[in-house]
Amino acid sequence: MVTSVKPVASTWCPGCGDFGLLASVKKAIAEVGVPIHEVVLVGGIGCSGGIHNFIETNGIHALHGRLLAQAVGVKLANPELTVIAAGGDGDGYAIGMGHFMHAFKKNASLLYVVMNNETYGLTKGQASPTSPVGFEGNIEAPFDAILTALSIPVPNFIARTFSGDPKTMTQVLVEAIRFNRANRGFAFVEDLSPCVTYNDTFKDWRARVLDISTLPGYNPADRQTTFRLCVETMQAGRIPIGVMHRPAEPNPKEPGLELKLLPDKVGPARADIGLETNRAAYEKLLRAVA
Amino acid sequence: MTTPASKSTPHPGTTGSEGSPARPTELSDLAVMIGGQGGDGTLTVSDLLGRYFRKRGLYVYTSRNVLSRIRGGHADASIRASRDPTAAVKSDVNLIVAFDKEAAEIGRAELAADGAILYDSSSFQLEGPNAFGFPFATLVGGAVGQPIFKNTAAYGAISVLMGFDAVQTRQVIEERFARRGGEALQKNLTALEIGRKAAQETAGFPDRWRVVDGDAQHQILTIGNQAVALGFVVGGGRFFAGYPITPATEVMEYLMRYLPAFHGVVRQAEDELAAINMIIGASYAGARVMTSTSGPGLSLMTEGIGHAGTAEIPIVVADCQRVGPSTGEPTRHEQSDLAHLAHLGHGEYPRFILAPGTVEDCFEITVQALNLAERWRLPVILLLDQALCQNTTTAEPFHLTGVEVDRGARLTPEQLQKLETYAQYQFTPNGVSPNVPPGTPGVFSQVTGNEHNEMGHVSVNPVNRVKMMEKRMGKLIHAEPELPGPHMFGSPEAKIGLIGYGSTFGPIREAQAILERHGVPTRFYNARTLFPVPVRTLEPFLASVDVAYVVEHNYTGQFADLIRGALPQHYKKLRSIRKFDGASFRAPEIVGPVRGGA
Repeated sequence: MVTSVKPVASTWCPGCGDFGLLASVKKAIAEVGVPIHEVVLVGGIGCSGGIHNFIETNGIHALHGRLLAQAVGVKLANPELTVIAAGGDGDGYAIGMGHFMHAFKKNASLLYVVMNNETYGLTKGQASPTSPVGFEGNIEAPFDAILTALSIPVPNFIARTFSGDPKTMTQVLVEAIRFNRANRGFAFVEDLSPCVTYNDTFKDWRARVLDISTLPGYNPADRQTTFRLCVETMQAGRIPIGVMHRPAEPNPKEPGLELKLLPDKVGPARADIGLETNRAAYEKLLRAVA
Repeated sequence: MTTPASKSTPHPGTTGSEGSPARPTELSDLAVMIGGQGGDGTLTVSDLLGRYFRKRGLYVYTSRNVLSRIRGGHADASIRASRDPTAAVKSDVNLIVAFDKEAAEIGRAELAADGAILYDSSSFQLEGPNAFGFPFATLVGGAVGQPIFKNTAAYGAISVLMGFDAVQTRQVIEERFARRGGEALQKNLTALEIGRKAAQETAGFPDRWRVVDGDAQHQILTIGNQAVALGFVVGGGRFFAGYPITPATEVMEYLMRYLPAFHGVVRQAEDELAAINMIIGASYAGARVMTSTSGPGLSLMTEGIGHAGTAEIPIVVADCQRVGPSTGEPTRHEQSDLAHLAHLGHGEYPRFILAPGTVEDCFEITVQALNLAERWRLPVILLLDQALCQNTTTAEPFHLTGVEVDRGARLTPEQLQKLETYAQYQFTPNGVSPNVPPGTPGVFSQVTGNEHNEMGHVSVNPVNRVKMMEKRMGKLIHAEPELPGPHMFGSPEAKIGLIGYGSTFGPIREAQAILERHGVPTRFYNARTLFPVPVRTLEPFLASVDVAYVVEHNYTGQFADLIRGALPQHYKKLRSIRKFDGASFRAPEIVGPVRGGA
């Protein structure tokens, strides 16, 4: 029996919010019943990006900011794989912002989890795109990923979780992975995951998070309502969490664009590229060049 | 309308008598330049002439000079037709077809001594003995109602000037416009006849030349970018991501047509950062992958290519070079990325740089690039240039002879199960670790751009670091015998050497023929691997000659510099013939320095 790479001990600080996410990812994979050799975890650069080393699956440690591009490549090459990209807020919302926006538009059926701690922890606590004004001298307004995600009119699954509530987080991740495995498109989950060393917000966030599903009028299929509820919640000094967008079940008679991303279920990685298998088709292709 | 006869002076092959030349001059190698404002249809004239010449069995080579804009501005195309194979722009032009004054002004510098200018006199006049004006736009505008058909009328006049077969001249129009339907075809046929009639009625104009026939009817017409796309498909390439950029975009466009039939995927990425990282992800998943780009995109991809080098992920990057740096001249020709590519990125990692010289070679080397990338698990750069990528040329039909798919150390499930440990970065004598894609039951893989140990875990252990560096960099030595060898032309006894790669192939071959006629034998080393510098074949080549001219399109002599660095003992033999004006070499630009001993 061949053995291969095993997880290593985490490098995170004790109490880091990322532990909650890691535990929920493991539970969600188990609950959905995905064979772990079919999972590819694509980590970014930053503390959170090391996550692929701490779990027994396949893993890629991508370039800073490029994890989504690599994850899309993996998924389109082999549609049978369950692909989870996981990184931090600097990785995703600063250096990787272009890919972040386009991931919704591309709508490949993969899960992207951003562990948002509102700081650059690994480089010792600089302001990140989500840091509030005043944090480490930050004079730029924070970026809100959920409002941005809601503004892109594609039927993606969009949610925000809190590492202080692992039970809900696991439920959300289970739903997201199922959404991907049904090939319904891109799933984005922002996990509020405090950095206990440089920006310990556990207590503050626990007091401020508000499950949006408890608000009157909540309808996750209606992004206009969700957007309004989020803005109102934020204006009240609270942080909206929960499932922000859950697209209506697709009409089988009108397949969505996400199905057009792939020509078939075989995909480039599993295509038989042997010369003999393809000889007749190749000769036809070459003969057509006049 | 000007009266061409009165302006025309007698020229070789014609008598001075009014109207009927006794014996037209025979042309076995000719060039026509067609110029005008963007939208004048210059490319259509070039296309029609190309179709006719091919029917007559001639080899055809066309190049374009267009500005980076969609409409307007001066644009010209030149077409060469020849009884012998050619892949170079002809240094002297026989005929200029001018739809604007600029075309004539630009073209005159290269006009042959007995050349002629055919121009649309509807809106301007040209002086000079060999300028023939026809008001094509006015004539066609009156008869067809749309002056735009002036280009087909000009083709008609050329057919008379060069004594084309009337039936085949018409067939070309019918074939070219068949798909556009009845009305468009009819208007073009009317325009053709208007052009022919005007030309026939002009004394001294018809049958000035006669184009000899060739025997190359079996050849196809293609461009390097199409050859790369086809090579990618038959070499097993199945995933392509790219970002539109001149002059590389056609590779992606062809693949969008070809790949879906083979379970393949082509994605237009949001930028080159995404393109390179998408192919890295797809390659990790087990697909054969490629991207194509040009200088500015290559700069953005540099970090990703280095990542593939150290994470040992096979990728192929086609660099269709253009004038740089920055935006440079997007539509113009240069070979100035080699120095960047040889030292690409921060840190050190192995890469191969391969350079096809012809369209046939583009097809062949793309297949080899895919095999080499996967066999050695590293980035392979396919170094192309604008002229090779985009100039259309007749070529031998592509065929599968010699095509093979070699997946290297990819393990079968049976081989995998015999292993005790599967390690993504296992140390081996040649540096290549046996490999399976993710999704394989029973094993996992971890890849990373951080320095890592055999299992793929991050490591800063100094002993491991040294071993890993030697594992990766050693591939440059172990793989060297497998890299594409040079194509050599000319006498092995020659004491003058010529070294070149990419589209300089055609001009150098033509220069060799001219030099041979002058009693100057040369030997041409057509390099097809540029990095690692192919010392095993270059050293004996340099030892065999007294002097070697490195012909390349850049200011600093980048390939010459690489060779000097690798073979310092031949430092004094190396000279440079460089051109960096945005246009490709004409053979005399190589002949001159060689004969002058520069």
